[in-house]
Amino acid sequence: MAKPKATVNRTKCLACGGCIAVCPVDALSMSAGKATVDSQKCTSCYICIKTCPMGAATEEHA
Amino acid sequence: MTYDVVVIGSGPAGSVTARFAAQAGAKVLMIERRAEVGVPVLCGEGISQKVDKFHALEGKRWVANVMDGARIFSPNGTKVTLSAEYAGSETGYVVYRDIFDQELARGAVHAGAKLQMNTNAIGLLKKHGKIAGVKALYQGEPLDIEADVVVGADGVESKVGKWAGIKTTLKPNDLETCAQYTMTNVDCPDAFCDFYLGKKIAPGGYVWVFPKGKDVANVGIGVLSSLSESGLAMRLLDEFIANHPELRKGEPVRLLAGADPVAKPIESVRDNLVLVGDAARQVDPITGGGLMASIEGGMIAGDVIGAAVKKQKFDKDVLMAYETRWQQAYGKKLLRNYVVKEILLDMEDKTLDMLADSLKDYQFEEFSTLSLIKALVGKHPSLLVKLTPLMKLART
Repeated sequence: MAKPKATVNRTKCLACGGCIAVCPVDALSMSAGKATVDSQKCTSCYICIKTCPMGAATEEHA
Repeated sequence: MTYDVVVIGSGPAGSVTARFAAQAGAKVLMIERRAEVGVPVLCGEGISQKVDKFHALEGKRWVANVMDGARIFSPNGTKVTLSAEYAGSETGYVVYRDIFDQELARGAVHAGAKLQMNTNAIGLLKKHGKIAGVKALYQGEPLDIEADVVVGADGVESKVGKWAGIKTTLKPNDLETCAQYTMTNVDCPDAFCDFYLGKKIAPGGYVWVFPKGKDVANVGIGVLSSLSESGLAMRLLDEFIANHPELRKGEPVRLLAGADPVAKPIESVRDNLVLVGDAARQVDPITGGGLMASIEGGMIAGDVIGAAVKKQKFDKDVLMAYETRWQQAYGKKLLRNYVVKEILLDMEDKTLDMLADSLKDYQFEEFSTLSLIKALVGKHPSLLVKLTPLMKLART
């Protein structure tokens, strides 16, 4: 089983951009005012999840 | 659409760059992906009064409070005071960042720059292999903006640098992840900015309390991303407030998150392209403050770009004058403070307590991180021994 990709809860995200700044594979960007994960690029390193001050970035549920 | 210069992002760095380039005669468009300049605020809203010397802002509508000083509390509560009484009149302001940003944008527009909202840059336009503008979405519809110079003023999450091949990705130990409440009905007995240190309070960062008025304050936290876990900044901030009765009685009127680069400054110039402000990591790694560098860097960038437009030469060699000048103006200071940041991060709480104890009666002559460092080195010459080789290393 592959590790789940990261995802961002759009309700909790306050658009600080921290996850985008630390993503080593440029898988995150701001889309319609919220951080959004490109699951094609995401390598499931979870740096974004650790970084998020609001707990908005999480592992994707299968 | 064809311009001499397109500026991506209407924060302080973007607006000041746009203003000075326009003043020098360039045809400038500034684009902003959001629907309102300066909103949402992503900032602790503290700035040195040295900002006045730039004459970048009119009036005082952007000032919430004039500071009388700052207090730093070590992990065991030992207090170090930097007071205006000893430091002369120059301390700091707490500002309304939304109004602050809108005033700076007004300055750019007043100088002749165009400003377009709801416009999201999604890539660079290339012609014959050279950067020739920006691909954007305006209200979701594709829009190509041709320009000789692209300015990346797109903040901590900058994409412009990446598109141009500049390594802007931050390591987790070079990012502070932040949360902040603006709280009302709290007690602000005086106009002092308070900083609280300690691994249990804010690992790799600090908690700040910046009074915006008698009963309103920004209460925020920065945690080093490498020491963070999901939602930690928010949890520790709530914990701090719960432990402080003068804050606990209040209620938040605003909640915001933030991300603050505390990295070494990076390269900021390519053919036809420059990076300014947070996008170029021009932030003081000790305090996390970036407004002063954004304004001063924007002035330099606008000036250099204006001259480039006059000469119609936009290659890296010409635009490099910007990097040379900002390195002189504040780049060395940022690098020094990066080295000090690394030393501070290595310190145990009890070392910070010991240092605070040695400075608790110290009368600071100036309101700055430099005066703090000087005082520390004066009391503890061994710190200078640590600092010197690291400074050499940082230069290579």
